[in-house]
Amino acid sequence: MAADAPHPAFEGYATEAVPQAAVGSPGKDGVLELTFERTAEGTTLVHDYATVPFHISGTLGHDPLPEADTVFIQSPTGGVAQGDRHDVSITVGDEAVAHVSTQSSTKVQTMTCNYAAADTSLSVGADGHLDYVPEPTILHADSRYLQELTVDLAPGATAVVSDVVVPGRLARGERFEFERYLSRVRATGPDRLLFEDATHLTPADEDPTAPGVLGDFTVYGTTFVLAPDHDETELSDALHAVVADGEARAGATALPNGAGVAVRALGDRAETVQATLHAAWDHARTELLDVPAPSGRKY
Amino acid sequence: MSDAATLESFRLADSFLPVGTYTVSYGLEQFIQDDRVEDAADLEALLSTYLRRQVGPAELVALRAAHAAATDGDIDAICRADRRLSAVTLAAEFRESAQQSGSRLLSLQTELRDETVLNRYAGRVDADEAPGNYAVVLGVVTALADVAVREACLLCCHGFVTGLLGAAQRLLSLGHTDAQRILDELQPVMTAVVEESSDGAVDAMTPFAPLVDVLAAEHERAERRLFAS
Repeated sequence: MAADAPHPAFEGYATEAVPQAAVGSPGKDGVLELTFERTAEGTTLVHDYATVPFHISGTLGHDPLPEADTVFIQSPTGGVAQGDRHDVSITVGDEAVAHVSTQSSTKVQTMTCNYAAADTSLSVGADGHLDYVPEPTILHADSRYLQELTVDLAPGATAVVSDVVVPGRLARGERFEFERYLSRVRATGPDRLLFEDATHLTPADEDPTAPGVLGDFTVYGTTFVLAPDHDETELSDALHAVVADGEARAGATALPNGAGVAVRALGDRAETVQATLHAAWDHARTELLDVPAPSGRKY
Repeated sequence: MSDAATLESFRLADSFLPVGTYTVSYGLEQFIQDDRVEDAADLEALLSTYLRRQVGPAELVALRAAHAAATDGDIDAICRADRRLSAVTLAAEFRESAQQSGSRLLSLQTELRDETVLNRYAGRVDADEAPGNYAVVLGVVTALADVAVREACLLCCHGFVTGLLGAAQRLLSLGHTDAQRILDELQPVMTAVVEESSDGAVDAMTPFAPLVDVLAAEHERAERRLFAS
């Protein structure tokens, strides 16, 4: 009997290979476009387009800032599979304020061939603000994931961009069993490159727990507070003070080219890293928008 | 290489070169403060991470680009590599250290040599059009002295490791023999990172050592410290 057949009558079916949808076929090439603009009523989602596996159920209005708008990206699928290519574009117009997150963790499934990739471009208009703080990315055994994120800021624009990576299903003892994870974050300001950050992990080739890399930690996350028109040294010191005594090991440093501040956090569980980064986000939002960060309510 | 080039590379690799490497520890001071580095073995493992994760994928890639650009007399390309290196160096302390030692080497070399490429690049650094990172200045200086790029990369690794070993001797009870042993044992790592850096494109530098970044952030605010980074 085939190992996964639930009933003898299904045994024949279970031996049949499932021809997987090819790269580029429906469901594999998820596209998400969101455009927010400032209107008389505050920030409005003026354009949205989502193809499977992305789904949008409208906007939510519970941001501490009344004129801000919130979108939680949903997925009807179990995660990211081999051959998936996702393309996300989020545009925040002049003076608009938007918060975009995912509803749950992005689970990158086990792979036997090919890889999965997500390309995210964020653009914030003059004096606009975007919080792009998705839930963590969980890398299942043998997964290969390429994530590229770009943020472009107009004069006066600010953004908080966060990225947390969990190297396996920790509760079942899976850690650093994925094959390759490359995540690049690139920020540009008016006419110039602000900074570029890369996380490249190939656990089989290079020990991610080497001293100075992740050391004895497992979960790793960074929050970028992008505010080119603010004093980054002051903001960096303030954010460092906020995260220094948290449960996760974290620190803040001023980004190159006056771009703002990077807060890096390392911990043993996603929750502690997220809590530390949330505290930094909260402080940054208070500095930039005079309101705290959203509570984390996902509905 | 000619004798002049060889001697020039000895001079540039010598800790006698007044570029202030004795003032930097690249976060090592904090690793020792935090009891993460307690002996020679810990130190060697951490230095290996620095070489593999920071020097190789960032500094050496920039050095190679600067070396090639200086050979071609392409000042714009030197400045591009220079700005790029700053843009991928997220720890503020490391950018400052790299620029300080870069600026010392650049002013020293412009005193010693009258080279158009060097002078024009120094002019761009003065005008704030390029940050003047140490690895980039070293790439330019070695190219102009006919030091081959591979030797220049090895020289950069050697200088980095001896600088940190010097810092370690003041921070840890590390004997001279242990320091020399680490330098000797890291030879294959230096060779490997130099080899790997030859594939690196200047717009795809990927240094990655998050715990170093976090400890460097703590070091920035440390009340008592011996080193600038």
